[in-house]
Amino acid sequence: MPMTDALLSSVEQLFSLATLASMMIGVMAGVVAAAIPGFTITMAIVLTLPVTFTMPPLQGVATMLAVYVGGGSGGLISAALLGIPGTPSAVATTFDAYPMARKGEPGRALALGIWASFFGALVSAVVLIVAAPPLAMIAVKLGPWEYFSLILFAVTVVASLVGKSILKGLMMSLLGLFIATVGQDPMMGVPRFTFGVDVLAAGVPFLVVLIGIFAVSQLASEVENPAALQRGESLVRGDMHFRPFTVMREVLSRPGNLLRSSLLGVVIGAVPGAGGSIANLIAYDQAKRASKTPERFGTGIADGVVASESGNSATAGGGLIPMIALGIPGSAVDAVLMAALMVQGVSVGPRLIMDSADLVYGMFLAMFLAAGMVLAFCLISMRWFLRITEIPKSIIVPVVLVCCAVGALALNNRITDLYLLVGVGLVGYLLAKLDYPLAPLVLGVILGPIAETNLRRALMADENWTLFFTRPISAALLLLAVLSVAFTVRRLLQQRAIART
Amino acid sequence: MSETTDMASRPGREASSERGKALANLIFNAALAALFVGLFAQAGDLPSSMWEPLGAGSFPRLILGALVIFNLAIMVQSALALRQADPATRVGAGRWFVQRRLAFATLAAFCVYALLMPWIGFALASLLFLLAVQVILGARRGRRLLIACLVAAVFGLGLYALFSHVFLISLPAGRLW
Repeated sequence: MPMTDALLSSVEQLFSLATLASMMIGVMAGVVAAAIPGFTITMAIVLTLPVTFTMPPLQGVATMLAVYVGGGSGGLISAALLGIPGTPSAVATTFDAYPMARKGEPGRALALGIWASFFGALVSAVVLIVAAPPLAMIAVKLGPWEYFSLILFAVTVVASLVGKSILKGLMMSLLGLFIATVGQDPMMGVPRFTFGVDVLAAGVPFLVVLIGIFAVSQLASEVENPAALQRGESLVRGDMHFRPFTVMREVLSRPGNLLRSSLLGVVIGAVPGAGGSIANLIAYDQAKRASKTPERFGTGIADGVVASESGNSATAGGGLIPMIALGIPGSAVDAVLMAALMVQGVSVGPRLIMDSADLVYGMFLAMFLAAGMVLAFCLISMRWFLRITEIPKSIIVPVVLVCCAVGALALNNRITDLYLLVGVGLVGYLLAKLDYPLAPLVLGVILGPIAETNLRRALMADENWTLFFTRPISAALLLLAVLSVAFTVRRLLQQRAIART
Repeated sequence: MSETTDMASRPGREASSERGKALANLIFNAALAALFVGLFAQAGDLPSSMWEPLGAGSFPRLILGALVIFNLAIMVQSALALRQADPATRVGAGRWFVQRRLAFATLAAFCVYALLMPWIGFALASLLFLLAVQVILGARRGRRLLIACLVAAVFGLGLYALFSHVFLISLPAGRLW
């Protein structure tokens, strides 16, 4: 389909009343969910998934993108007003937005963050549109050797980035890859490791693993501390006056900071496993280094808020780049988006842009549209946000758990998926308590079948396994995988040496 | 993030956790290694293919083999950590569970919820689960209990109605009636 046709077709689908309405609801849900401490953006997206099953593909994905982009801004609210990051992506936002709010300018702190998020999302959408199609053109030419090496690279990067121990990270990745082999073999259809048990016969659906790990285990950690459950009062009193356009000019008068933080966010978002939770801290750090007055960071200055919020919002577009171009999700959220497309029968991979151009262009447009909707919604309704952050965890946790159950059931309508969810949630909780990072596990489960299929295809095409090392792109990717592990080991050893002295 | 705040908020209380974690890691990885060796042997029985050099069993065996190596490496690391930790401190497994009793109670309730659902249906099971967990987490009397009842009724019945009537996704109705 020519590009203009695809674009027109996506505009037509996107600007229907049903899609606009569901996106608006998605934006509100995302903002509200991320504003509640303990409720992450990933949880919000996971819970949106079953709702989108009955929608056409573009409407479903656009709604989930709306939740995603909305969530990027929602974390700001509790960060600015309570000093508690609503999501891990808003940690650095607390450094300056909260002091600013305490100094009596909560309205300015929120408005700064909202505008910075908006521009960050815009920049990332532009980069996505520019970068994804050419990358996909290259990716289509990759053979199974390169693909297998690419997955190895993605898995080692994730294992290196998250957690304190690379051994544990790599073990979790492998465990994920193993879990993916349970059920039918992807080439021959032979059942593997099912032991005649009903629950395992169809394999372990990765959505159930995703919900179990990122929602159920996480929620269990939220209710550990009985004393904290009683909390929930807001600490900021002050004028909630907004001067949205004055603040917009204030944000735009920092183009260097805004652009640097957004681009950092895009790049970090595009690396598998790294996401908003890392991007906001790095963007903040870089803004501080580049500033003429670094000592004022942390006292409630606008630069800090702008860096953190544009950085974390920009990861949304960045994470979509590898997903659209390569079929490899950049983060847990992208994994859910990918799952949503797969459930709809859309095959995700480098051919996505060619086979479903209207869908991909629709996703690009939806990013822009969602950013605008978030801005409008936040500026209109910011006054009431303080109330949202007051909802106690004793209500949030059980309600979200019930939503998790709905998500697991809606997938295939199998009660065994629910049992699996409970098991995964419990195991995930215990693993997290023993310091095993969970993101590599989930990525392993998602990428396992792709890795196996490509490995076997490669050897079917040519039995010579040295091709993995002699084909240049494959060799480069394997080298990068080794380097990412080596650098992490060096970094951890240095940290340990510092800790000792 | 929550873990760092967690650790910062209660220093000292878990003075023995290093030793406990090392021991738990040792046992956990030993168990996993044994399991993976068993699965590795089992994967040998999976059929090979006429059309490709790797059969159904090769990829899993590759992964399982690597997993066992990592398990052994973590065991060595944990054993070293265990030797360095002060042997006089107690592991504190009991206290570890007691400190996290609310989390385990919530997960246990979730388990009972899943087991009950096919029998009594989604709506009733959710209602009971929502109420039970809110009570566990502190909504014991007065206004909070009233809110808990309301939340249970609205979300238990509301989600069922929403999914079965609006999204046309059928949730378990219950085998008992």
